[in-house]
Amino acid sequence: MDIFFDILGYIVNNFVFGLTVIIFASYLILALISAIALRTYLRKNSFVDYNNIILAPLTPSISVIAPAFNEEKSIVDNIRALLSLYYNNFEVIVVNDGSTDNTFKTVLEAFDLERVNYFFDYRIPCERIRGVYKSKNRSFKKLTFIDKVNGGKADALNAGINISKNDLICSIDVDSIMEPDALLKMVKPFMEETDKKVIGTGGVIRIANSCQIENGQIKKIHLPEKFLPRAQVLEYTRAFLMARMAWGKLNGLLLISGALGMFDKEIVIKCGGYSTSTVGEDMELVVRMRRFMAEQKLKYQIIYIPDPLVWTEVPSTLKILGRQRNRWTRGTMETLFKHKILFMNPKYGIFGMLGYTYWLLFEWLAPIIEFLGLLYFVLLIIFGQPNWYFFLLLLAFVYTYAVALSTWALLFEEMTFHKYEKRREVLKLFLMALIEPIVYHPLTVSWSILGNIDYLRGVRSWGKMEREGFKNHKGSKTT
Amino acid sequence: MNRCIIQGRFIFLITIIFFLQHYSSIVFAQPEKSLSEKSESSEKRYERAILWGERFYQLHLNTLALKQFDKAHKIKPGAYFPTYRSNQLKIKLHQPKNTNLGFMVFDFNKPGILISALILVILFSFTSMVTALTIVLVNRNHMILAEKRKQHLREEYQTMLVNFLFAKDINEELIQKIRRIASTNINRRILIDQMIDLSITLTGLEKERLKELYLALKLDQDSNKKALAKKWHIKAKGFRELAFMNIHSANSEIINCLSSKNDVLRMEAQFAMVRLNPDNSFGFLDFLQKRFTLWEQLNVYETITFHHLELPNFEKWLQSDNDSVVMFSLRMISVFKQISAYNSMLSLLEHTNPEIRNQTIQVFGNLKIIESLPHLKRIYKNETYSNCMTIVSAMGKMPDNSMLSFLKLVLDKEDDVQLQIEAAKAINKMGEEGSVALTKLLNSDYKNYQIIIKHVLDKRIS
Repeated sequence: MDIFFDILGYIVNNFVFGLTVIIFASYLILALISAIALRTYLRKNSFVDYNNIILAPLTPSISVIAPAFNEEKSIVDNIRALLSLYYNNFEVIVVNDGSTDNTFKTVLEAFDLERVNYFFDYRIPCERIRGVYKSKNRSFKKLTFIDKVNGGKADALNAGINISKNDLICSIDVDSIMEPDALLKMVKPFMEETDKKVIGTGGVIRIANSCQIENGQIKKIHLPEKFLPRAQVLEYTRAFLMARMAWGKLNGLLLISGALGMFDKEIVIKCGGYSTSTVGEDMELVVRMRRFMAEQKLKYQIIYIPDPLVWTEVPSTLKILGRQRNRWTRGTMETLFKHKILFMNPKYGIFGMLGYTYWLLFEWLAPIIEFLGLLYFVLLIIFGQPNWYFFLLLLAFVYTYAVALSTWALLFEEMTFHKYEKRREVLKLFLMALIEPIVYHPLTVSWSILGNIDYLRGVRSWGKMEREGFKNHKGSKTT
Repeated sequence: MNRCIIQGRFIFLITIIFFLQHYSSIVFAQPEKSLSEKSESSEKRYERAILWGERFYQLHLNTLALKQFDKAHKIKPGAYFPTYRSNQLKIKLHQPKNTNLGFMVFDFNKPGILISALILVILFSFTSMVTALTIVLVNRNHMILAEKRKQHLREEYQTMLVNFLFAKDINEELIQKIRRIASTNINRRILIDQMIDLSITLTGLEKERLKELYLALKLDQDSNKKALAKKWHIKAKGFRELAFMNIHSANSEIINCLSSKNDVLRMEAQFAMVRLNPDNSFGFLDFLQKRFTLWEQLNVYETITFHHLELPNFEKWLQSDNDSVVMFSLRMISVFKQISAYNSMLSLLEHTNPEIRNQTIQVFGNLKIIESLPHLKRIYKNETYSNCMTIVSAMGKMPDNSMLSFLKLVLDKEDDVQLQIEAAKAINKMGEEGSVALTKLLNSDYKNYQIIIKHVLDKRIS
């Protein structure tokens, strides 16, 4: 029996250690690729005058689609903010996904809407449309409001796609705040298309907790005051500026966040729109679009823009954050298993060989292995004699590397967009980098494990997501 | 399933089987006799440790082998073989008993190379962390100071430049003062940027005077140096400066870069050519081989409109081999209403590229060229879905009653709702005759017609 444990221990030790080294090495490689890509982007961007897009008649038309469910408190400000985006050729489609509060009535009154005789073409299947509304006021002529039976976010987006008149669609969470020039930056890669068709663009999502917001627009940027949102600032900075930037450069990006993404409508429709059978519809759509293009043997790319384009409120309580992460894990699993054909499949290029494999091993499996490793160590303490010196050395290795990674992310942020102006805020983020591996990271691992368990139990619901709302932020004003 | 996947997975499976077979043949070479016995003598435990130690040794699993030989050594401290193997393995693993960290000695009981690697990574992480944090904090101060200095210089230069440009005579003293201040590279860069910004708003005599000052300060040498630099972003900046200041000295380098792989450099070269070559501003379209992206087209269009450049006859590029150049020409014909290109455009309805046909149809609609209607009607049957939509939409833009029966046919025969809606919209734009036709259809029994026509007649839906 002791030999069995020796062998098991040997395998676990080497496997976990080996995987850790591979993960850390991949982080380093991705960080280097990101650094190069960011430098090139910023240099190229210094020659760009986005005003050219606003004025020119050659720009592509865009439909901004914002699904809304029980958003009565902030929807009016958010729609106003969407209508005042800098672009000349766009429409805003707000989809009321069977809200049970006063969202419908509030929007109707605020924008002077009336029902029109709209012929609704269900090109992508979605729940029944109860009515399409347009404003009597010509100032709001860009706005179309759809009232439909509840079917979830993906279903609401599909309804919006069905009604959109334009070549490009931009999906956005109605409770997120878009930077006024976000559409200009997102449309540019479509205009730069060469022999590879651009099928989607995504950008950086920033955290709006504690920021000062006026009439649906960010007026002053502050670091979140609470612990959890602050930890997420660091997490988002690492993910968006280091990992996704590199995957964008490698054309292996699997995810354009549901908070903001722009897509070629024709391809989205050909792919059948958003999937209503998954809780990770944003990732699933990107993967399906990529599969479709590869299977049609069409050259394509998905472009990632490192500019901060949208601000969103992240969960600030353990309960809500846990639900969100649980859902993200289930969404990832659903997508990965649904498209398992991609695994190490050269037919799908870098996306299949590297992108998918990376997500499978490091985004889905890594937390499980981390958890099992921890469990093994506890067993080792109970039944055997762990090598404490070596354990402490490994701990120091993992900890310093994790903190270094976060500090590099802060450096990337400083060298690019430095949104947090106060030096005190940078120091607070560094302090968070020191605490995060000990306090926050174990939480994310446990939520991921719970997500795996829930997936196996067949849980498919979104889980109730509650937001504090921007009105509570210091100095924030609403109309 | 793709052959590549099958092959890849087959190779993967074979490799696994090979290793399993290889390892199992060594591990399970002898029957395990004593493993199941609950009470064992020290002799048996010794034998088993030696047996497994040797198995692991053969498999090159040195750490596991060492553990077994150490176990055997503990059972029989005097035995030669386990001590020999143990020492042999320790040498193999480069494993000193203790690791000396300089200030403390630790017994990690792991290969020395691994410990050294881990310590190196820890030191690297720590150093890079401290360095990154220092850069972040120092950069803050540096940025604030640099921005303040730049702002001060910008204001100073702007005042001096305005005084120089609007003075009655050329002020040599002022030129000397500017030259003195702009003696460093950074200051010259700021001065050049200021002059470029100013040049955008100037015309006539003032613009000439600004160019004279630029030459007097020998800033053209800076721009030339940039234009000849190896780094693309410096080169592109040089092209831009020369274009704005209308200096032709680096034209050959600009021409070389018209087909550069770097999109920004290529675009800046195009932009410079349009500005610097008034006799043949769009000459680069003649030999452009790369795709002329919509972004590049938009920037050229902006240059034309912003600087009021003389327009060429875009018709001459309609037969270009480069499809993107044809698309650009069609767009420009539409924007600048060059209707004289009609005959050349007509031949594009037979072009092999459906996007070009689509753009041509759009131009006919935008320019309301009614003569094109019979041709559009003719090609409808064999066109792609997207082009059929554009044809019907174009017919709506140039309402002509001769198309009424055709549009009714589209409404009646097409299965696609979007096409039906577009056809109904086109009919609706045909004045009284169109309205009568739609009213008749509205009263028909076919329910879909009623909904489509109600949709089309609702003016709130634009």
